[in-house]
Amino acid sequence: MSLVPGLEHWFILSTLFFAIGLYGVLSRRSAVGVLIGVELMLNSTALNFVIFNRYLATPFLDGAVMMIFVIAVAAAEAVLAMAIFVQIFRSRHSVDISTMTEMRY
Amino acid sequence: MTTADWTVTLIFYLLGGIALIASIVAVASKRILRAAVGLAVTLACTAGFYVLLGYDFLAGVQLLVYVGGIVVLIVYAIMLTSSMEYFETRSPTQRRIIGAIVAAIFLVVTVAAFRASEFTVTAMTVPPSDIAAGVGRLLLDQSGAGYLLPFEVISLLLLASVLGGVVIARSPKAAAADASPDIHAPHGTQVEETS
Amino acid sequence: MDAGFAYAWLVPALPLLSFAIVGLFIAPRSRQAAGLVATASVLAATVIAVIIAAQYYVAFPSGGDAIIAWSFAWLEYAPGLTATIGVLLDPISVLLLVVVTVVSLLVHIYSLGYMADDPGSGRYFTFLNLFTFSMLGLVVAPNILQMFICWELVGVSSFLLIGYYYQKPSAVAASKKAFIVTRFADVFFLIGILLLGYQGFQVAATVGVPDGMQVFDFLFLTAPSTVGALGDASLLTIAMVLVFIGAAGKSAMFPLHIWLPDAMEGPTPVSALIHAATMVVAGIYLVARLFPAFAGSADALSVAMIVGAFTCLFAAVIACTQNDIKRVLAFSTLSQLGYMMFALGVATLASPLGYAASLFHLFTHAFFKALLFLGAGAVIHAVHSNSIWEMGGLARRMPVTHVTFLIATLAIAGLPPLAGFFSKDLILAAALVNHHPVVFAVGLLVAALTAFYMGRIYIVAFLGKARSDSAEKAHEASPVMLAPLLILAVLSLGAGFIPVTEFVGLPSDSGHDHHGPAWLPYVATAAGLAGLLIAWVIYRRPTEGEAEATGWRVVLQRQFYSNEVYLFVTKRIIFPFVSAPIAWFDRHVVDGAVNLTGNLTRWSGIVLSRLQTGQLQTYATWFVGGVVVIGLLFWWWVR
Repeated sequence: MSLVPGLEHWFILSTLFFAIGLYGVLSRRSAVGVLIGVELMLNSTALNFVIFNRYLATPFLDGAVMMIFVIAVAAAEAVLAMAIFVQIFRSRHSVDISTMTEMRY
Repeated sequence: MTTADWTVTLIFYLLGGIALIASIVAVASKRILRAAVGLAVTLACTAGFYVLLGYDFLAGVQLLVYVGGIVVLIVYAIMLTSSMEYFETRSPTQRRIIGAIVAAIFLVVTVAAFRASEFTVTAMTVPPSDIAAGVGRLLLDQSGAGYLLPFEVISLLLLASVLGGVVIARSPKAAAADASPDIHAPHGTQVEETS
Repeated sequence: MDAGFAYAWLVPALPLLSFAIVGLFIAPRSRQAAGLVATASVLAATVIAVIIAAQYYVAFPSGGDAIIAWSFAWLEYAPGLTATIGVLLDPISVLLLVVVTVVSLLVHIYSLGYMADDPGSGRYFTFLNLFTFSMLGLVVAPNILQMFICWELVGVSSFLLIGYYYQKPSAVAASKKAFIVTRFADVFFLIGILLLGYQGFQVAATVGVPDGMQVFDFLFLTAPSTVGALGDASLLTIAMVLVFIGAAGKSAMFPLHIWLPDAMEGPTPVSALIHAATMVVAGIYLVARLFPAFAGSADALSVAMIVGAFTCLFAAVIACTQNDIKRVLAFSTLSQLGYMMFALGVATLASPLGYAASLFHLFTHAFFKALLFLGAGAVIHAVHSNSIWEMGGLARRMPVTHVTFLIATLAIAGLPPLAGFFSKDLILAAALVNHHPVVFAVGLLVAALTAFYMGRIYIVAFLGKARSDSAEKAHEASPVMLAPLLILAVLSLGAGFIPVTEFVGLPSDSGHDHHGPAWLPYVATAAGLAGLLIAWVIYRRPTEGEAEATGWRVVLQRQFYSNEVYLFVTKRIIFPFVSAPIAWFDRHVVDGAVNLTGNLTRWSGIVLSRLQTGQLQTYATWFVGGVVVIGLLFWWWVR
């Protein structure tokens, strides 16, 4: 079993996920939508770690450890984000981030 | 290429196609719940990629934590902040176009940078078999080559975020009741559970 | 440094102190007290100045050296380039100290009476003290920088005092005119100072500066070694001519004379003090002070001589036709300043008779011209008019004023043994000794003209019958005004016998002829007598006012249209063709650039604040875009 497909295929795939997530972050109006975009980006990062671990350093597992860390950070971030959204929704009855401009000045 | 290679390649593109479509749904769908489903599918496909790469353990972690935990959390967030029938008001076209352009530029630049770099692929055909044990050893390694300190920091981060989530999401009434010792009102238990 | 003169700084310091105290604390409360305190301070300064003069004369009976009595390093730029404030005592500064303090004291006393009814006299005495301080500071200045500062200060106090009656538009206009014209000249003076300082610095680099001296010190600039080195410098003539223009502005030489007649809008004692006796001679003093440097450039001295002689004649001719008594005196002052200037101009280092004669004339002129002005002030005070054709017959009603005015008239006409005779005689002698026959002829003619116009105003104002009701009812001035008149009359009588010329000679004097030909005093006296006689013949009959001027007399009465020429030049040429384009340039280009900077800042602020939308995603977009750009740059750099 040889290693297919090539590294470039994997890399482009994970970067595509990242770019799509980035687009979501930049274009969503709903805060939850933005959070989904962020999760996509984090996921692509984790995938990238594993890909490079597999292709460049198969005997080691540092990339896999990093993937675990990324998931942990993503989980922590999701918890806090959700708590904040709930609180914002309580006071504003909306999580539309384009209306959240009070801290502009 | 052997038949196995062909099979792997086929699965890669199949999964990749599904994941890409699902991720586009995740960022472009007007129904936020559908977007969450798209995200779940993407994450699940990623678990498939881990299997393809030979890291079965990671695929399991991905499914358990990501799909089973974070996505559920997001679904909770959606349900707490909007009705099921909630349709997102779209951003102005201008913003979406600019977002797309920036994302595309980012993609192009990153891929170009990747292509311009040289990577010495030292991949062995067979990945290590005892991944779970290896990861565990690395995480608890005290010799300095491992990740004991980051591991502890991450655990602290998780603890802090759990507590922070509780404190932030508590309803003002519950917080006020908590602050006054005379009234022994029940705490915002539901919020605590969701965290 | 003679410790015996260390207290000399008190002379200018006392009026300064008094100026501050009177101006800040006394004048707003009591104008009588203000006048008394101001006068007392000048009295103290006068006493000290006289003591200094006596002490100096005892120490250096034959003229002698210059000493720096007191000095204070003020601005230290570099070693050898330190601006100091100090007190320089040499024969001419001691002479001027005495003249300025005495005349100032008498004018202060006179003003106590003259300004008694004026509600603003507290302000008046404050300014008068300021002027006295500035003039004394100018006189004792040991370097050209201090002189320039005090030079401007006297200009300011002159401006303030000319415009003292600020309710009168003509006074305001006159004060502005005086200030602008002298300022205009001072610009050249300043450029001259810079050129001179530059050359002094060049010379200092080769010759070296003696210990305790600075480049700008007069003692350095006029030292023989410096002058010798300066004479080689090609710019010396330009520098000295520029300095001379400054001096000409202050001393109202043609063509910068136009401010002085108008300056008579100020109170009459001010005219006596500032515009006759002291400030206007500052230009003469400056040229005398720098005389060795001037002598290094024959051209500069020639300019001084020609301008002086021309002003002398020009002003005397105009004075013959003026009807305002103060204007006659003003043109007379111009004429006498012309005398002093051309006397300096004819002098040379080897034969400096003109130098001594000029300062001698400065000395005597201060007294009799102040006396004339103060007498005129007493008359104006009594008659309430400046026109001589509304006076007449005042001799009987104002006997003391009459006698003192007569003495002054004879003194300025140059009749022996009055003060003016000696000094004028010496000036004419200097012109002859140094072979300037044309200048001598002008001087002699002007002597006759002087006698004529002075005789004219004396005869018209004091003799004959009263020409107006107010002249009819005129009565003698108060004793406090008469006392200065009497003192000045005594000085006008006796000042000619003080051997000033022995005292102020230059060390370079090679013992040339110190006297003109023996016939000179007779000729000069004859010229003066002739002038008086002609005046008597023309004006002895009690005419009812002079006939309307016709023909060439209009030209004279209008002062050769010099004011009109100035107005034409400024309003028709300078304003539209020089000032207007500059103003346009300033308003549109300079201001435009300034406004553009401001507007640009504002506009960019508006534009940039658009970025501050509060839209999280806009920020994120910029952030990612920035990351991409930085990544590209980094990549490009790595490659």
